Amino acid sequence: MTELVVNNVQKWLGGLQILKGASFTAERGSIVALLGASGSGKTTLLRCVAGLEQPEIGRIVIGDRTVLDGERKIALPPEQRNIGLVFQSYALWPHRTVRENVGYGLKLRGVASAEIGSRVQAILERLGLGHLADRYPSQLSGGQQQRVAICRALVYEPRVLLLDEPLSNLDAKLREEARYWIRKLILDLEICAILVTHDQSEALAAADNILLLQDGRIVQQGTPQEIYSNPNSFYSADFLGANNIIKGRVQTLDGAKATIGGEGWSLPGVVRDAAGVSGNSDATAVIRVEQISVSDKAMEGGIEMDLDDSIYLGDRWEYRLHRGGLIAKANGALQIAPGKVWAWIPSDAVWVFPAQK
Amino acid sequence: MGLRIAARQRARAALLPPQPTAKATDMNVQTQNPALSAVGVAHAHHYPAKMPVVGNARLYRIVVIGLLALAVLTPVGLIIYQSFLTGPFFSPRAAFGLDAYSYVFTDRNFYKALGTTTVSAFGMVAIAVPLGGLLSFLITRTDIRFKRLLEILVLVPMFISSIVLAFGYTVSVGPTGFLSLAMRDIIGIVPWNIYSLTGMIVIAGLSHVPHVYLYVSSAMRSLPSDLEEAARTSGASIWQVSRDVTLPMVLPSIVFAASLNVLLGFETFGIPLVLGDPNGIMVLTTYIYKLTTLFGTPTYQLMAVVAVVLLLITLPLVWMQRRLLRNARRYAALGGKGARVATLKLGRNGQLVALGIIGLWLFVSVVLPIGGITVRAFVDAWGEGVNLLDQLTLANFVRLTEVPSLVRGMINTVILSVVGGAVAVGIYLLVGLAGHRNHGLSNTVLDYIVLLPRALPGLVIGLAFFWVFLFVPFLTPLRPTLFSLFIAYVVVGLSYGLRLLQGTLIQVAPELEESARTTGATIGRTWRDIVIPIVRPGLAGAWALIMIIFLREYATGVYLMGAGTEVIGSLMVSLLTTGAMNTIAALALISIVLTGAGLALALRLGARIHD
Repeated sequence: MTELVVNNVQKWLGGLQILKGASFTAERGSIVALLGASGSGKTTLLRCVAGLEQPEIGRIVIGDRTVLDGERKIALPPEQRNIGLVFQSYALWPHRTVRENVGYGLKLRGVASAEIGSRVQAILERLGLGHLADRYPSQLSGGQQQRVAICRALVYEPRVLLLDEPLSNLDAKLREEARYWIRKLILDLEICAILVTHDQSEALAAADNILLLQDGRIVQQGTPQEIYSNPNSFYSADFLGANNIIKGRVQTLDGAKATIGGEGWSLPGVVRDAAGVSGNSDATAVIRVEQISVSDKAMEGGIEMDLDDSIYLGDRWEYRLHRGGLIAKANGALQIAPGKVWAWIPSDAVWVFPAQK
Repeated sequence: MGLRIAARQRARAALLPPQPTAKATDMNVQTQNPALSAVGVAHAHHYPAKMPVVGNARLYRIVVIGLLALAVLTPVGLIIYQSFLTGPFFSPRAAFGLDAYSYVFTDRNFYKALGTTTVSAFGMVAIAVPLGGLLSFLITRTDIRFKRLLEILVLVPMFISSIVLAFGYTVSVGPTGFLSLAMRDIIGIVPWNIYSLTGMIVIAGLSHVPHVYLYVSSAMRSLPSDLEEAARTSGASIWQVSRDVTLPMVLPSIVFAASLNVLLGFETFGIPLVLGDPNGIMVLTTYIYKLTTLFGTPTYQLMAVVAVVLLLITLPLVWMQRRLLRNARRYAALGGKGARVATLKLGRNGQLVALGIIGLWLFVSVVLPIGGITVRAFVDAWGEGVNLLDQLTLANFVRLTEVPSLVRGMINTVILSVVGGAVAVGIYLLVGLAGHRNHGLSNTVLDYIVLLPRALPGLVIGLAFFWVFLFVPFLTPLRPTLFSLFIAYVVVGLSYGLRLLQGTLIQVAPELEESARTTGATIGRTWRDIVIPIVRPGLAGAWALIMIIFLREYATGVYLMGAGTEVIGSLMVSLLTTGAMNTIAALALISIVLTGAGLALALRLGARIHD
């Protein structure tokens, strides 16, 4: 069931357009991630949905209520949108206990105090916070504060849960745990959730759908697998994963197949963004680091390269390779002595894009 | 040409939102038409009208700001109106005319007062700014000892009303002051005369050092010390560092403090009244005051003209300060928040010199006047050859309890400052909320309304409210009550109080308010349940500071005060003409003690005296 419709939302700040027509929908029981670099407009888009920013153009429907309509000049304030928002800083009210923080939304909705007590206790128990109900936010750890913030946004069962970089203030280990349980919680409760993040691994691990934003625009959307393995632009390809960016020249072009090369090297690949790629034009190729395999023994179909160094990274070795102007990184399980090696680069992993400035 | 029109038409079409075509397909992303977005960029200036902001308490903001505007603009408007009349506004013979202007502008005394005011304002700045800058440097940037104590002591003169200070100087270093007499015993003559323009300027300059210190020290505090350390390690001496590094960095705040003091110089009343008046030295404020008694009949129109002249001088100053303050903030922001403040080592001799300078200033600006008053309050008479110990008495205080008007004065002062101060903080809070995270016209209006009372001395504001309470029929019954004084006090303290409140409100992180909104609270609920509880400690501190401001106020009540609504400060002003020194001394000491109690309370409540 569609809980959120965002249609052609455009927002200006002074003379600068910071959202240039964003549209998407989100379903109950799924997580949509708004992924993008800082300044891409993802947080602004989330704040537009929450009603904390007012876009000039566009339509937003939450549940069955139109909360924003640029044409009819309807813009409901945040408190009438029936949403829950988890802030990056958690924004727990310092003068209220955990119980009072979480119960506030129910109190505002006129729920009887006995029921508030039981519902607050239930959700706190569910998130393992039952014993902390009488503490003040300053007496909690960062991870506990984050869970309180989620309880506070969920307890009154909003139509849409908005999460603004909820994990960025947690340390690395907690973050991996948190993205797992947050996903599980949202799927269990069958909530519609929008997650803003700049962290690709967070988006890939937690979301059902990813919207990739660039410069106020959604440049690509799809499931994590699609976004990762099927980028439609250099920006998408480069934003996700660990990549080798290779500059060269298109040597042959046959439909979607192209050979990119430079002084002393050439690689067969596939064109992923045809605009601007033509025979003999400059081009940029993206190869995911994990797509290149390296061996010190001759490999059929592999290209001969010079290994400059093997760098120990704990769980793997990183190889620094070059051949003429072709410079690349690759990973492997073994240390290889510098010198001649063979690199296997599948042609469908060489993504050819127009030359980037 | 035709092409351009076509492009414009296309642009207009592009800005019309497309018809909602969203099918209920899962994740329906509409990729943008590249041509459309290109046009959008080219015509970025023609962005569509803003959406109406709903639920932002717009009505509340307009009503509160409107009421405030009424409270501020009515008295100011009445002054301007009165200045164009030929007689007092209530007189049936008053008509429109420029008589008052021609009288004032042909009066030699007016030009003398204007000249004296200008000279004394700039003279005061010439003393207060270098000394205030030096004190700021020593206290914030060096390892001077007793720092925490000095930080508070340095501000003391600011909290004592200038009428009390001026009276204190009279009894300690006046022609027959304690110190003057002692000096004459030793060297045969008194080498100073405080009843002179120079005396006025020196005393006003010394007592305004805290106003400079307050702004310059906060700029110096936010200055990253590695800049100074870098200069020190390059071989610069402490004085070279302060001249070449520190001074240029804090120059904006010094310029601001200087302009603030010029303004205060134009508005000063107590010091010229006590020190200048006996020798006929007049400034604009005392000129207005003298006009009251110059003729037998009220000369409101003349007073109004001088007030208008004063306003025309001070309003541009206030406006300039607003701009300077913005620039100074921008400058200070360069320093960064996490600036580590390491202090310059003064060394043994440096400590002695620095403490000597501050000690001397404290002696002259705090010990002399307060000490003088304290002694004077407990003696009955003094003069040459009188042993003070023989004269020790409590009679002055006993007298205070016997004269009904003096008793009422003390009670009223305490009520006005304690209760009135609390209510005033409540009012400033309501106004602060009306301007809180508010943008647009009403906020600009608020900004400018707040400027007006700053541009007028308390004496003129009090006078204007006196007229308002005479002029507006339904307000007339309130004139002989404390309410009339209270309203005038609220307007006098408006800019300071509102800045305190706004400073406190702005510290509430915006997410704390936004999270209440997204949880379902209206803006009113958010203020009530989140903002106000969080700023409550700040409110208590603001209350204590406003209390001190109201305690020390003396000029506002000069005209408003009547039988039953006496206040200590204004009582002292009216007692000056009778020469009842014993009573003034006792009242002054009580005023100092009350202020001290207020200050102790403020510090205890954690008021942020330092900006």
